[in-house]
Amino acid sequence: MVDLELTNLTKHYGSVKALDNFTHRFAAGKIHALIGKNGSGKSTFIKMISGAITPTSGSVRLGGAAVSFSSPKDAFEKGVVTVYQELSLIPELSVAENIFLGRLPKRAGSAGLLIDWPRLRQDAQALLNEIGATDISANAPVSSLSVGKQQIVEIVKAMSFNPKILQLDEPTSALAQTEVHQLFRLVRKLSDLGVTIIYISHRLSELQQIADRVTTIRDGVMVGSIPIDEARPDIILDMMFGDLPPLHRPIRRIGSDDPALQVRGLTLAPYFTDLNFELYRGEVLGIAGMLGSGRTELLHCLYGARSAQHGRIAVNGREISRPTIRKMKAAGIGYTSEDRKSAGLVQLLSSHANLCLAGMEKIAPRGWTSNRRETPFVDRQVEDLLIKAGDPKLPVSSLSGGNQQKIVVGNWMNNQPDILLFDEPGRGVDVQAKRQIYQIIWEKAQAGLSSIVISTELEDLVECCDRILVLHEGAITRNFDNDGLDPKFLYSACMSDPEIPIAK
Amino acid sequence: MTWKSISALLRGNSMLIILLILYVIVASTAKGFTSIDNQLNILRNIAVPGMIAFGMTLVIIVGEIDLSVGSMVAVSACMTAWVVEWASGDAIEPAWYFVAFAFLVTIVFAAGIGLFNGVLRHRVGVPTFISSLAMMATLAGLANLITNGSSIESFPSWYYIIGSGRFFNIPVPVFLLVIAFIITFTITNFTTLGRSIYSVGGNMEAARLSGINVWRTKTICLMITSVFAATGGIIYSSLINSGNPTIARGMELEVISAVIIGGVSLFGGKGSIWGAFIGVLFLGVLLNAMTLWGFNPYAQQVVKGALILAAVFVNFFIDKR
Repeated sequence: MVDLELTNLTKHYGSVKALDNFTHRFAAGKIHALIGKNGSGKSTFIKMISGAITPTSGSVRLGGAAVSFSSPKDAFEKGVVTVYQELSLIPELSVAENIFLGRLPKRAGSAGLLIDWPRLRQDAQALLNEIGATDISANAPVSSLSVGKQQIVEIVKAMSFNPKILQLDEPTSALAQTEVHQLFRLVRKLSDLGVTIIYISHRLSELQQIADRVTTIRDGVMVGSIPIDEARPDIILDMMFGDLPPLHRPIRRIGSDDPALQVRGLTLAPYFTDLNFELYRGEVLGIAGMLGSGRTELLHCLYGARSAQHGRIAVNGREISRPTIRKMKAAGIGYTSEDRKSAGLVQLLSSHANLCLAGMEKIAPRGWTSNRRETPFVDRQVEDLLIKAGDPKLPVSSLSGGNQQKIVVGNWMNNQPDILLFDEPGRGVDVQAKRQIYQIIWEKAQAGLSSIVISTELEDLVECCDRILVLHEGAITRNFDNDGLDPKFLYSACMSDPEIPIAK
Repeated sequence: MTWKSISALLRGNSMLIILLILYVIVASTAKGFTSIDNQLNILRNIAVPGMIAFGMTLVIIVGEIDLSVGSMVAVSACMTAWVVEWASGDAIEPAWYFVAFAFLVTIVFAAGIGLFNGVLRHRVGVPTFISSLAMMATLAGLANLITNGSSIESFPSWYYIIGSGRFFNIPVPVFLLVIAFIITFTITNFTTLGRSIYSVGGNMEAARLSGINVWRTKTICLMITSVFAATGGIIYSSLINSGNPTIARGMELEVISAVIIGGVSLFGGKGSIWGAFIGVLFLGVLLNAMTLWGFNPYAQQVVKGALILAAVFVNFFIDKR
């Protein structure tokens, strides 16, 4: 049994401190929950301990001996194994092959060429049985297993390296309840065997069942570490969120007599069932939900980029049958993607060209265009949204994330939409640019634009939305009027933890 | 002018500079190269691959490829001859409207093939690399089928004008090349279709989510290229005054090479018609020079291949810096 001791561990990306002087000793043989909201530095922490990135400064001691990891393989060999949220199994291969990938046993006398299949199966099954996963066959192809079972195979694979430290990154995020219990049994078994476990999770209600200690990161800083007996939900939430800055905008009440968008019975398996809600004119409506709650899929359905199985969508009181992007765009809806790089902008093209993608039919209704015709539209957005584009003829890829995001928005403003769907508008931009983008959404709303905003960062929703819906397990579970809503309540509502009392 | 802006200018026009250097070298070593006749000859020779290259430029910018253009040239030449023969009842001197009818049939057929490839790409998701490869074999077979493997000589006596005639001493195919240039240049620079072509080729998902009709954009490019190839087939049928299934074999390679030499990115989203023109001219000048120098025709092919590689390499290298 060894402990993991970190001293002043720091990671800088340029001027951004992703992790700042992290000092903590993870005691041997215990299960340590590591929690923090999105962007708190958890991922940086995991990657640093797994050897995927090297710290800017600080030291790591493993069982008292100083170590440094040059690569994930190096960390592996020194006894630190990490199981990431995205599984790394090869679906076409069997469970046994996946567990022993790269080190398959060879038949004696075959000069290391022929695989010893019986031994491979035996060894793998023995490992599975040892941790109590007797219901998984070593012969089964991984693709035939449920996600939960695959998660267990991944952990068994990690175990076969006899790690001293095991990092589990949100292992339960995709699991059903029964699978969660099986996973917990497995994790406790490993802990009993003396493995030190760092368990990263979003689900506060799980912590009581699995963790010995709870350690919290906020904004790259370790805020505290407390034994599980003291970790009441409200204490954890306070540690995660800290003191909240005051709201930067006045609170509005939007009248509910003029819906810009009406959604009835919208269903898309397996994401959501029978959603009903309205977006009122001039309103900024937030949709909060955890990763995988179907937020993006919902926006895609509203925008016609994906067809829902059931349900009706009415724009400005007119129902749109069988929505497509073209129909929805014509009805006045726009959509800014959560992923600027792969779906929001054409990186090869200039800022100028990217500002004229969606609005081309407005700019040049007859199909004839030229730089001269487009330039006023480009200039208007550059001016209106304060885009620091330098020469708009240069590739958009040369701009900062915040300015790129503004170009995504400006691209749509050139189409003069009534309704704009913002998918994670604050992702990957610095704090100041993020504030500016929310300010823009807010200002456009006052000018009559109706918006839906989704974000994993709940404070952002609180900052710019008039009303917030909570999407949880495929249903809208809460509807908050945002008059100074506390993000902590929102967080609890998103997790829908029965143990956490939702005040208000 | 600063050093930086000069270097940017050189880099932006690297292929033009390479072409000019080649031009100077050839002009000073090959006898008769600079004569007006020879220059017009080069232009006439590049007319058909050139116009197809302009279409291919659109197709490659939009992120697709068309390997069937060579076969399309052959089948179009044969189809024109065959339709004239059939419609005119094997007349010695078919009336002009039979020829016009044959043109119509051929062009509509070509547009239909482009449409078919586009629909296949859209509905079934077949990459155009595959569908046009299949089309290359199919069309070559069709050319042989309708001509029974030999040539059909069915054209009226004035038909040579399209391929071999001259206006103001300039060969007719050169006018057609210029028209193709104007059409494609206008599309890429002055139409919303052109803007869509670049954005679809640059990032299909971003274009789709911006409400651009991706499949229509791609299909139009494929149709334009098919129609240009068919026009090339008509020019060739006039040049040899018959429909012959063996012409233009391997032309897709020449066309695609010229487009890439011209700096059009095979990954889509990048390139220009002007660049493609320089690429076509580069190949044309090179072939003409090697003939004037008296190179062995087989050696010419080797040199051509090696120089294409070299030009692409230089272009890539300059582009990367």
